[in-house]
Amino acid sequence: MSAALETPGIIILGAPRSGTTLLRRLINAHPNIDCPGETNVFAACGRFLRSERIAEGVDIGVVEGLGYAGFSRGEILRRLRELAFSFHHDHAVSQRKPRWASKTAFDAFYLPEIEQLCGDDALFVCLQRHGIDVACSIEDLCNKNGVYLKELHEYIQRYPRMIEAFAHVWVDLTQAIHAFVKRHPTNTMLIAYEELVEKPNDIMANVMQFVGEQWDPALLADALASRSGLGLGDWKTYGRNAVDRSSVGRWTRLSRHTISELGGICNATLAACGYDAVPLDSSRSPEEGQRRYEMGLLLQGMKRAPATNRDAATARPAAVSQEAAQKSKD
Amino acid sequence: MVLFKMALLNFMKDTLGMDTTGVDEDTPLFSSGMIDSSSMVELILFVEAEGHVKFEAEDVSLDRLDSIRRIVTFVGERSER
Repeated sequence: MSAALETPGIIILGAPRSGTTLLRRLINAHPNIDCPGETNVFAACGRFLRSERIAEGVDIGVVEGLGYAGFSRGEILRRLRELAFSFHHDHAVSQRKPRWASKTAFDAFYLPEIEQLCGDDALFVCLQRHGIDVACSIEDLCNKNGVYLKELHEYIQRYPRMIEAFAHVWVDLTQAIHAFVKRHPTNTMLIAYEELVEKPNDIMANVMQFVGEQWDPALLADALASRSGLGLGDWKTYGRNAVDRSSVGRWTRLSRHTISELGGICNATLAACGYDAVPLDSSRSPEEGQRRYEMGLLLQGMKRAPATNRDAATARPAAVSQEAAQKSKD
Repeated sequence: MVLFKMALLNFMKDTLGMDTTGVDEDTPLFSSGMIDSSSMVELILFVEAEGHVKFEAEDVSLDRLDSIRRIVTFVGERSER
């Protein structure tokens, strides 16, 4: 057996837009670990293992179907695990590295199945980030892609307001990841995006200690300079040549009302993650909301008016920008 | 009115999260981009609540709102009515 199969593989888990691509690039910079662009292998394994329950209470899926054909659950999982690991192993060999790591942003949606598949057979580096920053960033992603991927679309169907849907995505995935970490204390570690960008060398030293390697601070620059083996993944990370905190706290730029609404969804989980709760604005009446809306419309006229021309400054706006009206509605 | 000026500054700093260092009575607030639309809405509602005045449509102007002095003057004029 090759070294890549003798040492445990590493799987990065986190809600989409939690910094998993940054972490992938940092890990891939290590001379002993190969972490390619998103392969989607483990998410696909998760879909493979999912079943649906019919009215009679019978689960319909691959495991159940093959079970009737004489294949045990353990045998099915073993074969699938070997298949999944083999792709990463072979890629690591092709890169002349002895170990593999895997990161696909949407793996976290399939955590229950990935846990069945290899919950005890890999090392998991789990990443958390402030939930409302994640929601803002997923919204950016969907706007950029012009589509909701299936896993996100299921939330959009339930919560038509995009950012609210994505806040629920974060809550569900983060709670699942935290519970997974609790169930697997010896082969998981949890890090925060905010700490990773604040002190990347310290955090990477901890990550490498966890996986049994050593971190050289010189790798940080290598990781960000490398453009090889891009693959699928985050489009933003390659625009950066340094780790910085510019994406931390972007939620503070939302309107107070939106922050309050998302706080109602996220605050309990934010607290569980060690973040401060965001302020809630429970005192607002429908009348106050309408007043804000009206003021937002009027301010659009004021924005365009020259400061020295009182007539122009007080003129009502002929048209109202969608952005201001929406913010004021918030 | 001195107290109201202080209340405005405190609101801008504590609630709107602005850096009020160097902001004086005549510092342009909105036309300079120091306060955006969203925060200006919050400021107007604060002035209405604390100054016991109501902004009519024609009052929402740079002449009334673009500096602390203009806001305080507006509130003073309305209070005298």
